[in-house]
Amino acid sequence: MPSLLVEIGCEELPASACREAQAQLREQWLPELGEGAVLVGPRRLAVLVPEVPEHEPDRWVQGPPEHLREQAAAGFARKQGVSEDELEVRDGFLGVVVPGRPISEALPEKLAALVESLVFGKSMIWEKNGLRFSRPVRWLCAKLDRATVKVEVAGLQAGHLTYGHRFTGGEVELSRADEYVEVLRAAGIEPVQDERRHLILEGLDAIGGWRDPAGVLEEVVFLVESPIVLAGRFDERFLELPPRVVETAMQSHQRYFPLEGARFAFVANGGDPNVVISGNERVLEGRLEDAHFTFERDVAKGIEKLAEELGAITFVAGAGSFAEKAARLQELVAALGGGEASQEAARLAKADQGAELVREFPDLEGHIGAEYARLAGFPEGVCAAIEEHYLPDSADGPLPQTEPGRVLAAAEKVDNLTVAFALGQRPTGSRDPHGLRRAAIGLCRIAVEGGLQIDVAALAQRDHGLLVQQEAEVTDDPADVADFVFERLEGVLDVPVEFVRAARAGGVTELGAVAELARTLAAEASSEAFEQAYVAFDRANRLAGRTDGAAATLDPSLATDEAERALIEALGQASPQIEAAVAEHDFHAAIAAAAELGPPVDRFFDEVLVMAEDQRVRANRLRLLLDVRDAVGALGDLSQIPR
Amino acid sequence: MFASMGAPNFQEMIALLQRYWAEEGCVLMQPFHTEVGAGTFNPATFLHCLGPEPWRAAYVEPSIRPSDGRYGENPFRFQQHYQLQVILKPAPEDVLDRYFASLESVGIDLQKHDVRLVEDDWEGPTLGAWGLGWEVWVDGMEVTQFTYFQQLGGLELDLIPAEITYGLERLAMFLQDTRTAFELEWAPGVAWGDVYRESERQWSIYNFDVAPIDVLMRRFGEHEVECRELVELGLPLPAYDQVLKCSHVFNLLDARGAISVTERASYIARVRNLARRVAELYVESLSLAEPAG
Repeated sequence: MPSLLVEIGCEELPASACREAQAQLREQWLPELGEGAVLVGPRRLAVLVPEVPEHEPDRWVQGPPEHLREQAAAGFARKQGVSEDELEVRDGFLGVVVPGRPISEALPEKLAALVESLVFGKSMIWEKNGLRFSRPVRWLCAKLDRATVKVEVAGLQAGHLTYGHRFTGGEVELSRADEYVEVLRAAGIEPVQDERRHLILEGLDAIGGWRDPAGVLEEVVFLVESPIVLAGRFDERFLELPPRVVETAMQSHQRYFPLEGARFAFVANGGDPNVVISGNERVLEGRLEDAHFTFERDVAKGIEKLAEELGAITFVAGAGSFAEKAARLQELVAALGGGEASQEAARLAKADQGAELVREFPDLEGHIGAEYARLAGFPEGVCAAIEEHYLPDSADGPLPQTEPGRVLAAAEKVDNLTVAFALGQRPTGSRDPHGLRRAAIGLCRIAVEGGLQIDVAALAQRDHGLLVQQEAEVTDDPADVADFVFERLEGVLDVPVEFVRAARAGGVTELGAVAELARTLAAEASSEAFEQAYVAFDRANRLAGRTDGAAATLDPSLATDEAERALIEALGQASPQIEAAVAEHDFHAAIAAAAELGPPVDRFFDEVLVMAEDQRVRANRLRLLLDVRDAVGALGDLSQIPR
Repeated sequence: MFASMGAPNFQEMIALLQRYWAEEGCVLMQPFHTEVGAGTFNPATFLHCLGPEPWRAAYVEPSIRPSDGRYGENPFRFQQHYQLQVILKPAPEDVLDRYFASLESVGIDLQKHDVRLVEDDWEGPTLGAWGLGWEVWVDGMEVTQFTYFQQLGGLELDLIPAEITYGLERLAMFLQDTRTAFELEWAPGVAWGDVYRESERQWSIYNFDVAPIDVLMRRFGEHEVECRELVELGLPLPAYDQVLKCSHVFNLLDARGAISVTERASYIARVRNLARRVAELYVESLSLAEPAG
């Protein structure tokens, strides 16, 4: 069988476009053409299929139903260019088997359609009404063994030529499809992306001690076709900059790899190594010197001065400045039980919003503030809290490691949520521009995994009050912040959602306690104790919860039946036990105490007529049941839990 | 590395590039008379890239960006630098080869250096314009922005132009192997810093500290009104000047810290609306004009 090579020659594609094309060539081209290799680089997208079937598969063209043979067969046969007696019957229909064309005949049309089918997230035209692609397509090369396939796409004719390295390779003739990789390698190109990755890794390992914290390697694989790994150095005085500033300058701007000390590695695409190294060293030094200049201006000003100037920087339109945000954070930190370090950190947490270096490196907010606090001699607890207060910055990202960090991070998230809700900017559908879902998930994780006590409703209410005092343009009552956070808790915990919903209605409001209650309910859901507690709650709730006319308070002297008195007595014992156990977050003990109410409730319903004739007796019995429900209800709204 | 081989000084480098592009059929234009943030704003680019007529031009443009100044203290940040802007409308098929040859014309050996095209998508929100292209790196130094325009003034384009914008200081720093722009040799015995350091200091004071906010706010409104009136009168060229003035006043207000984040978006939208109306009127006026010749 013949081999096939199709290459789309492009002006330099972005790495993201290379990856988009790679997926489409693999998932859409190969199934059409046969098993083969997808080769993708900045200047070429190629598919190499070593064995292409020589013919297209035969095709069944279905015609009219058999019973309409007399009326329709002749017309159908004529249209298909066959005689009527050549028609076959399959599944009750007339039809004709059209033999597959030789692949050489079929390919031009097929390949043109495939090229035109490629789509990119961002695309452009370079001629009016021309092909739409990530960057201009400048050549097509298509070979079936030795023959050039006459593909034409948007006025571009495929030929037998490809191109080597832009400046050293030039035009190359491809005489046979299966020589593609060798021919390009001879022209200075490594067309196989995995091989390029391998060469880069080999080069980096040979230099040793390389790091890639921002993960630029995968991009670099698609930025070069002739990778050469080189190393350079920079002046040691730049090591006095915060290390992450140096790293970011290397990685986000230049796609370099940090090495130990004042050195870096990078991947060039050609050139004389000494010339290329000295050029890159100069560029990095320029960037670092610029950062250093900015850093020194910030440090000369100092973090206290930066914090003082926060009044001039808007946090969110309608919710005042960062100075006002810092004031709210301090209050929230106090409400969260934060100590001196977290108080101090709250005051300084936003100071770096005024730092010039943060304007240059926005991803390093928090980190830069922490470095400036360290330089100003603040205790490490304060600095660490400033550093960590944006954490976790993704759904499964790392949590703050220090107590002041957890407290400040929680305050930060409560304030972001409350401000957005108070300004009427709740997330809708997939729109969540302020990252509020992420903030709520972070809050849940700080409570559940970090063990911080967070009473969201109380904090949001307090924050709302502060916003009003600060004369923010509050339009909405942000009371639903807590609901929003609890909804996220359903996803964070590994228990069925019904248990979380049940626990939210219980006698604890603090996030971590609700989570613990939900877990305990789920763990004990099939125990005998839970069953008894559930029975007590459910039977009391079913009747009394739906009936009006309960007395305001229970009057034991109105009890007439033995079963009624027994229940009152059991309640008198269980109720304070449940309450105390819930207050101590010992939910297991609370379930055990509540279970004691199961048998007396059952007996009560067996022996006592709740809806007594005497209105006072009836009201008292309804009250008794409500008291039972409420006592057990400290464990949550158990009716949420399916039985 | 170049000094021994006689790297061109700043003015020689400009002359070499201009000669190269003149030979490529570009009309050598001069800088525009109103402050612009980039050569793209010059009508020789923005307006000439609209409509169906081919056009090739090259010109030096001072790029005025008030917020980028650092009082002449930071040798990497300036409120004014120079661009050489080249427009090839439509972009010829071998436009990249022609561009690379221009680097050779100023003495860059393409085989010795690592010359790369790195994705850079351009968007000019005040002009309602965008395009796709690259920043061009020579040994890691960004010396040029290359863009295939897709839209200007919110309008689709009849002919897709290539815009080639050389950052002249960066290119010269590369050629002359200097660390900062201040040290560049502009002409024999004259350094870039001699010409511009004091200017950076004074303009930074003006841009950041003393430009009168209330006057600028008033001017923005006046330029906006005048632009609309000129559009009504069917005069797109003078109307476009008012767009540029609005844009520059906005940049000054921004540098003065007089515009909040939310207001920013609305100022940009106001300038963009003007740019769009002028672009539409300009295209209309082209189709009404007598055929050339």
